[in-house]
Parts: sequence; C-alpha cells; structure tokens
Amino acid sequence: MRRRLALHLSVLVVGAAVVRVAVVPAEVCPPVTSGEVRAAVDAAAGWLERGVQPSGRYTYGYDRDADVVSPDYNEVRHAGLVMVLYQAFAATSSSEALRAGDAGLQRALGQLLDHGDWIAWAPPGEVTSGGNGLLLAGMAIRRAATGDTTHDGIMRGIGRFLKEMQFPDGSVSSDWREGTGPIDNHSLYSTGETAWALVLMDREFPGEGWGEAAVRTIDYMVSDRDRAEGRFSRLPDHWAAHALADLRSDLRADPRLDYARRLAGYFSIRLRFESQRLGKGINLLVRWYPGTPAGVGTAGEGMGALHRLAVDDPRLSDLAEGIDDRIVCTAGLMVDRQVTPAESADGAHPLLEEGAWFYRGYTQMDDQQHTITALLEALPVLAAREAGR
Amino acid sequence: MSSALLVVAFLAAANPFRSRGSIPEEASGRARLVPVLVGGALLIGSVAALAWWSGPMLRALQITPETFKIAAGFVAVLAGGYAFVVPTPSTEPELAGWRAGVWPVWYPRLFAPEVMALAVTAGTGNGVAASAGAAAVAVGGLLALVPVRGQVARRLVVWLGRILSAALVVVGIWLTIDGIRDV
Repeated sequence: MRRRLALHLSVLVVGAAVVRVAVVPAEVCPPVTSGEVRAAVDAAAGWLERGVQPSGRYTYGYDRDADVVSPDYNEVRHAGLVMVLYQAFAATSSSEALRAGDAGLQRALGQLLDHGDWIAWAPPGEVTSGGNGLLLAGMAIRRAATGDTTHDGIMRGIGRFLKEMQFPDGSVSSDWREGTGPIDNHSLYSTGETAWALVLMDREFPGEGWGEAAVRTIDYMVSDRDRAEGRFSRLPDHWAAHALADLRSDLRADPRLDYARRLAGYFSIRLRFESQRLGKGINLLVRWYPGTPAGVGTAGEGMGALHRLAVDDPRLSDLAEGIDDRIVCTAGLMVDRQVTPAESADGAHPLLEEGAWFYRGYTQMDDQQHTITALLEALPVLAAREAGR
Repeated sequence: MSSALLVVAFLAAANPFRSRGSIPEEASGRARLVPVLVGGALLIGSVAALAWWSGPMLRALQITPETFKIAAGFVAVLAGGYAFVVPTPSTEPELAGWRAGVWPVWYPRLFAPEVMALAVTAGTGNGVAASAGAAAVAVGGLLALVPVRGQVARRLVVWLGRILSAALVVVGIWLTIDGIRDV
C-alpha cells in the first residue's frame, strides 16, 4: 500500500508543480507609490520631450544594443505622442509636456488639407482616420486643459472629416484618397480612435451632435466589428475603452456597458499574464520575455479608462476593485521596468535610454506613449488607496 | 459560479459513479457503508478546509483567484479526459475496517486533484458553506450507489461515470473561459 500511496502522492506533487510553473506562475506585482508613478511619468515624458526635433517630429525609436536611432517614422504614432503629451500636461501641469505637444501639433497644423466641407491632417502620402482621430483627441484634451479655443474651427473641421469617414453601419474607413474618398478598408485601431475623438468633441462642444455620431461607431464595435472585419476573437481595444469611459452618461446604454465589461476581462487576463513574466529561467520558456511596453501600456490604459467608467457608473461598480488591483499591479511592473538614470549611465547615449521602456533592447515612441497613459490612469487609484479611500 | 453549476462541478469532479467502481465492497457486492461514510465526511471536511484557506493560500502563492480559476479548469479538463478514457479506476489495497474510508475512499478516490482545485476556486468565489454543500451532494450521490450490485447495474454506473467525466471536461472549459473573462 505504501508503494501505491507514494505513487499517488508523487503524481500529485509533480502535477501541482507543472501547473504552478506552466499554468499559474506567481503574479508578481512590485509595490509602488503615487510619488514613484508620478516620477516615472515625468521621466518618460522627458524622453519624449528630449526627442522633439526642429521639424516638430519626435525621436521614433532607439536600439541600445546597436546604438542606432531608428530612421523610421509613423504619422499615426506622431499624433498619439501629441495626444499623450497633452494628457501629461493635463495631469501634471508640466509646461515642458505642453511645449513638446505643441511642437508636434504645429507640425500637423502645417499639413492640413482643407476640403471645404471638412479639414484633415494630411502628412505626405496619407490621410488616415486613425491619425486624425488621435490628433483631434489630443487637441480636445489640450482645449480642456488650457481653455485655449484658438483651434476650435480646425477641430470642428477634423471632426467633420471623421464623420465623412464613417460608413452607414458605423464602421470607419482607414484612409481617404483623392478621387475615391474613404476607401473600403478598416484598420485595427482607427475605428476606436475615431469613436474616442468624436466622444471628446462632444465633451468640448456639447449639443453639436458629436456624441450621437460617436455612438454609431461604438455600436458597430459593440456588435459587428470583429465578425465583419474577419477577426476570430474580440479585439481588446483600448481606444474603445477610452470612448466608453468618456461617453456622455445618457448615451451609456446597457449593451455598451456590457461591451465595457468584456473589455475589462480581456485587459485583465493580459495584465495578469504580464505579471507572471519574469523573463528568466523556466519562466522564460513558459511565458517568454516581459511584453512590449506598448502592449502592456495599451492594456493598462484600457483598464484605467474602464476604472473611470466603473467608478462613475453603478452598473459596473462590481468591477472596480478588480480593475484597481490590475492597474496598481501594472503601475508597479512598469515603474520597475523603466530605465533609471543609474541604469542608463553606462549606455552609449544615456539620454536615449533614461525614462524609456525597452523590449529586448529596443524602444519606440509608442512604448512611452501607452505606458505614460497607463501610469496617469493609475495615479488617482494609488492616491485614493494611499488616502485610505 | 452559480449554485447549480457548483453542484454539477463537484458531482463531476468527485464523480460518485466512477468512484463506486473501486471502493471497498462486502462479499455480496454492495459497497461497505462505514468506509463510504467516513470517506464522505472527510471529503466534505477537506473541501471546507480548502475553501476556508483558499484566500490566504492563493495570496501566499501570489495567484489571483481569477487566474487560479484557469488552472482549476485546466486540471478539470485533464482529469475529466483521463476519467472518460479510464472509466474504472484501478483497485487500491485497503486499510482495515473503517480506516478504508481514509484509504482508498477519501484519498485517492474522492479527494482527487480536480476536487482540490475546485475546492480552492469555489472557496474564493462561492464561499465555504456552498463548497462544502456541493461536496455533500456528491457524497450523497455515492451513498445512494452503495447498494448497487450485479453486472447490468455496474455497467450502467460505469457509463454514467463516463457521462460525468465528460461533464467535468465541459466544466473545466467553462472555468477556463470564465477565468479568462474575469476581471
């Protein structure tokens, strides 16, 4: 009998070990304070601000192993940087962030296409809904934070362009082309970016119908998008989360909140999985390297947006505690992974490393963009916890 | 997990039909009542204990209850699949007298890894009383099978055990999906 007992216990112990290592490794959440998060935001914004070039472009990417600054550029990400710098200014009142954001905005304002009935940002060779959506979102955040109404006419013009890019079913064309207009193609995130920009327009210009336009696209994301665009599973769309979080309260119908609930689940499993990644030993084999900072950041910022929604709408209040746990954990992870001045000191170009997040030796502007937003969303959660609320 | 699903999950995990095939029997072919009572009581107690300690245990292991639910689902799928393929567990040597309720009725027959995993995940989600109650339903099922003997009845029990094994696979898939969707 002892042999049988030993056999059963051995199978139990080995099975438990396999489950522990391969299925549920420890979810490590480094402790973090709001002060540390604020410092991390400042350091990452510093990386972006140092990257402003005379043309209004930003440093795109840096490979520290090869000591090469990437010559690539992506205009949608340019708009994303303008937007996040305004978010940083709105949250921290950093004049450097405002200046850096304005530099990128001025570049974009020099590339406008005035179509008569609408205006679009048209950098050479592209007129995208995603780029215009993020640029408009940034301008709306800037307007709310500064009270500056200088660009109201352009904002309304870009808003009309985004409505032009909406199809009757609420889907959004990815690109506008001279001669054909909105092309019959969708891109992964431009739908959510467009919806969010229209929601923010509604906040800045209430009563002009922007919210109603946004809802057409939100409902497309709620119901048809993933099937219509040929995706096997639901897209964990952080821009959709922003759109839902900032949507006027009277437009928050139950199906839209159910969608928010599903999004919270997608972001949560992504962030829980991320917290299991150590990037070494056996864990490297079963979980691979810690994820791209942009990937972690998008899930973190999506969760942050849903935190605001869960706090604001009692129909989602049951999610608030879990959402807050994920946000705080993500903040701890990303503060821990950020390159400190001491760590960057030995690099070939310390200022291209300090404050950034790298994935296997490479960092890109959107790594900082999404992670900054995630950390900004974590600040009020941490502050509330520190205050015992 | 709803109360109904919790009961189905514990029934499928403890699988009284499958367990009936390998517990101590009298010469007549009936199962011995005292070991079943002892094993059943131990099962209810150990499920309650695991459910009680599930929170501190998962915190010590640095696993969120939502993520552990995925692990419980994984274990349930594997155990259900194995039980479906091997519908009658191998016969174990028995301790004498009522102690046979400890070995092999309680362990390894009833308090199997899938029941342990389920007790932990149900403890965090449904609480101690609900978990122990669901385990008690499974024990009740085993008690109801004590008189079963004869070839036809035994074959029926084996096939019902297979059905519960398949149900355990379904429960495991549900737990995994729910763990993925949980916040």
